[in-house]
Amino acid sequence: MAEIRDVEINSREDTLPLMSPEVRPWPVTPPPPREEVSKVYAKRNAAKFGEWCEDNLRFEYSFGKPEALQGLKVLNMGLYRMGNKFCSSLLAEAGAEVLNIEPPEGDPLRKLTPFGREELMLEDRETGEKCGMDFIHEMRNKFSITLNIETDEGKEIYKKLAAHADVLIEEYPPGYMDELGLGYRQLAEINPKLVYCWIGVRGSWGPYKDKVSKFGQWTLEPFGGCANSFVHNTGFPQDQLPRGKGGDPTRSGVWFADYVAGEQGACSIMAAIYWRNKFSGEGQFIEVTGSETQMDILDFDIGWYGFNKSIKARTGGWDPNLNQYEWNPCKDGYMMIGGQTDRLWYRIGQCIERDDIQFGRLIHEDPFLKEMGARNALQALIKTYTVTTRWLRDMNRIEAEQKLLEYEIAAGPVLFIDEVSEFPHFKYRPWVCTIDSDQYGTVLYSTSPNSFQYRTPHRVKWIGRPLGKDNFLKYLNWLGMGQNVVRELKSKGVI
Amino acid sequence: MCDIIWCKKEIDGKKCNTVNYLDPYCFWNWEGKVNCAECKTVYYIHMIQGFMYRGPEEVDEKPDTSPLYADKPLEGYTNYLPGIEGRTRPYECLPRDIYLGVADMVKFSARGRPVRGWRPQPPSAGIAGSFGFEWDIQKLTPEVWEEYQQKIAKGEVGEW
Amino acid sequence: MAKDMRETRIEDLPGPKSKEELEEMKMPYEEYCRATFDPGNEHEKPEPLRGVRWMSTTMYIFTPHSVSNLAELGAEVVKVEMPRMGDPMRHTSPFNEAYLYPLHDTRPMTGTGLGFLNANPNEYYITMDYHLDEMKEAFYRMVKMFDGLTECYRPGTFDKWKQSYLYLQELNPRFIYVWGGGFGYGPKVFGGSYDILGQAHAGLASVTGMHDFMGGHCAKHSNWCIDWYSGTQISFGILAAIHWRETTGLGTMIEFSQVQAATRCLGYAAPMYGRFGIVRQRWGNWDTQLCAHGIILCGKSDFPDVSNPQDKHDARYVMVSAFQDEDFKELCAITGMKDLYGKYKVHKDRVDGESQVEIYAALEKWAEDKSRSEVVKVLQDAGLLAEPVMNDREVYESEHFRQRGTIRYLDDPIFGDVLTQSGYSSGLMAKTPRRQNWIWRPVGADNVKIYHELLGYPTSTVQEWYDKSWI
Repeated sequence: MAEIRDVEINSREDTLPLMSPEVRPWPVTPPPPREEVSKVYAKRNAAKFGEWCEDNLRFEYSFGKPEALQGLKVLNMGLYRMGNKFCSSLLAEAGAEVLNIEPPEGDPLRKLTPFGREELMLEDRETGEKCGMDFIHEMRNKFSITLNIETDEGKEIYKKLAAHADVLIEEYPPGYMDELGLGYRQLAEINPKLVYCWIGVRGSWGPYKDKVSKFGQWTLEPFGGCANSFVHNTGFPQDQLPRGKGGDPTRSGVWFADYVAGEQGACSIMAAIYWRNKFSGEGQFIEVTGSETQMDILDFDIGWYGFNKSIKARTGGWDPNLNQYEWNPCKDGYMMIGGQTDRLWYRIGQCIERDDIQFGRLIHEDPFLKEMGARNALQALIKTYTVTTRWLRDMNRIEAEQKLLEYEIAAGPVLFIDEVSEFPHFKYRPWVCTIDSDQYGTVLYSTSPNSFQYRTPHRVKWIGRPLGKDNFLKYLNWLGMGQNVVRELKSKGVI
Repeated sequence: MCDIIWCKKEIDGKKCNTVNYLDPYCFWNWEGKVNCAECKTVYYIHMIQGFMYRGPEEVDEKPDTSPLYADKPLEGYTNYLPGIEGRTRPYECLPRDIYLGVADMVKFSARGRPVRGWRPQPPSAGIAGSFGFEWDIQKLTPEVWEEYQQKIAKGEVGEW
Repeated sequence: MAKDMRETRIEDLPGPKSKEELEEMKMPYEEYCRATFDPGNEHEKPEPLRGVRWMSTTMYIFTPHSVSNLAELGAEVVKVEMPRMGDPMRHTSPFNEAYLYPLHDTRPMTGTGLGFLNANPNEYYITMDYHLDEMKEAFYRMVKMFDGLTECYRPGTFDKWKQSYLYLQELNPRFIYVWGGGFGYGPKVFGGSYDILGQAHAGLASVTGMHDFMGGHCAKHSNWCIDWYSGTQISFGILAAIHWRETTGLGTMIEFSQVQAATRCLGYAAPMYGRFGIVRQRWGNWDTQLCAHGIILCGKSDFPDVSNPQDKHDARYVMVSAFQDEDFKELCAITGMKDLYGKYKVHKDRVDGESQVEIYAALEKWAEDKSRSEVVKVLQDAGLLAEPVMNDREVYESEHFRQRGTIRYLDDPIFGDVLTQSGYSSGLMAKTPRRQNWIWRPVGADNVKIYHELLGYPTSTVQEWYDKSWI
């Protein structure tokens, strides 16, 4: 039974402490019980298989299983950007030991918070130091140590750390480390087995490499997306919304290219480790950039220019390659519908026709819409989606979803994060989950999608780490430096 | 009363019967006048959250805009594509100045070398539809090979 | 060590071991990078995943991409498709305009759309109708010879066909089995999924696009980025599993949900909601945590007179970044927004929502009579960070990507001259680079190569299966 307290609420700020999971538990309503879900499996003759998955893949069992990258030693050396953070998160979730090395004053990302609101930062229970949540969320299973590599002693320590590491992830401006004598070519002399991965925005070399402003400011996302056509191609056309009011090229809401660079970095690193362990015994140098790794996943966009000099244009919530495949507005938000093959296309129509008899007349009977490829023409999209939206405007997302799921259509609402966190399937798995942290209290976080495995699931063991918390442990473990030495170096500004 | 306007205007004793599609993002919340793509009758509409709050009411004024697409389901679905002057709204956010909507038969890439972007193509000569790892263009489609030689001679084939 | 310990050899000393290495150490950093990555000569170097064999029983983009990463890294991959039709993704093409022919030997008039591009390079293409008991033996033969498989069918489907992990791990305990799909076990287990569903369902769409007050709607990421991005996370899962298998000899099963992967990249959204009940919203082309750091609209296009509408109308956007105090001060000085600097000297103040509205409005006002390149030039000359928002033509023509080899033409063995932006762009590796040998092959193009040459069935049997549409 929760404690009953008197609270006075005069402003939004007064409510903030009341929202924490300690007070307002997550999830607000419990996920469906397993028995209910078993019925779902049975309905489609997959009872036995469903139970097998539950018994062998469940998130909750991950802690009883081994870690795939046990014993892999990783250094993460980067500021500001998500690329190095996400890359090292993936390795850490899979069981690698990751030391996040920060300058003594800390990564500036620790200080970033939406709209500058300090009340939305989490406070270290011991020191009262505040930390931004983007940083905390990506600081998973990582140790934090501090080191000033611009001092001579710091450089020596850095080299010694690198001598022990299997992997070093670096994300500083081009050539900065090399100039300090700490780049790949110098460290490879000390540790030829080192796999060294530089992550950046456009590149550490080449005519359009990453820049630093006259005053030392770094190039951050979405510069990557601007350089590879992603931003240009995303957003609504000015034919649907006026320019300046949504009909413009649009960036991703998150630092998306950074995440893509991070995961490709992790793949290249693992491939390099495999080659090192199995064939050559040698490490190597890797360079991964946000603009390029995101370009890798821009479908055919630039290839299309090579085909017939087409320059991809924006298509808003619609996709120019498949029909149906879009989201459109409905009564309480936006509803996504997808189904391109003939089988699915007519099933969507059957579902809509139940409520709107004219849909069949206008859409199914139109000879121009009978062929799968032809349905992707612009006029076909306009027509199909106008009539579909006429159906959608009458209902809420959940009603539309239920109706479409009855016909086994891939359909889903555009959800906001509160709805994501309470969506039955998501909390059943769970895809967001709470974790206790010593310093920052209970934190709701997105779990690793690689958590659902038979043998070596990835997992989050802790989240967030105060600056330099692991200085004593890790300098002792890795380099045999006793606490007095560490303290002394700290007073000299080296650590 | 929906986000299509099925125009029933009688012209020369015959109903217009054109369906004008009011695309959802543009018209979801919108007030103004829009013309029928066929008979050019102007309708006043006021849409809120996709519903016709008022209209369509015929008015004798100039339209503010046009539908993007319109067709005539009762007459074999003949249609007006986007960008027909005075009938449909232009759609400018396109990848090229020419809009096709059907497969573009391409024989050469942007830098002028042959690419297999046209049909029909001769069948494979292998067992069970197997393809090898070469495209002997000179043998399979000599006319494209010839065209390619002319392009080379004219200096139309570049590195990029 | 030399035999005589008193002898000093260059290779025993710390530092460079040879004259070449010494040269390398002295090279300017950029030159060193260019030389060590050496784009264009990838095939002179080994492939990191040499010897790994993977089955790709996949469709669309998400699960194929989890395998294409491996194929580019040198794994031998066999893509299995349904006879005659192939992967549905082959039937997608932007506005129905771009196809390469033929789709299949028997369908000379049907092409494979560019929607299929980049998702399955370097792979061998066979066909198989798994429904048939007659094909089971061939499938099992492959499982015994391969390291793993990625599939994307509805949960329970492969189990019904006796080819789920339950069955396959008994045939081959080293086997790594991946299921990729929308949801996985749980109440929505049978929910189908696509990239766009992931973007919508997982919350990514809710934070992308212009805010309501700007008149905007939730915008779709132009590309099937959640498909690709989630696929790469599977590739990472596979590589970690292979790493584990090297020591233990045991495979695993990975059940991976694409929708979840989209929630994973939402940064502070989940913790902020969890702790404070605040729901992250769209913030258009600006940044919620940095200011000034956003994309602005300029008054004039850089190419008002060309015919392509993208160049003509849309070469008007610039990404401007000056969030640090000195940078912002300079930005204000150069754009005549001096009073704004006075008002927003501290980052905390200028990153506030209302200040952002004011600052970007002032910037766009300043850019109203300028073209994109003028704006970029003025700001860059002042030492600030500003870059144009580039379109596909500009990216294609970018000297940077050409020199780095990340955009290049490929002489595809069947389809000819194809431009690729993929594979080479997913990361440069100095000793074991990625590579692309071909973009894709027609449906069933390698039936003989696999069924006969690898699995040992007589060609007459292969032909017979083909005629019966079993393959």
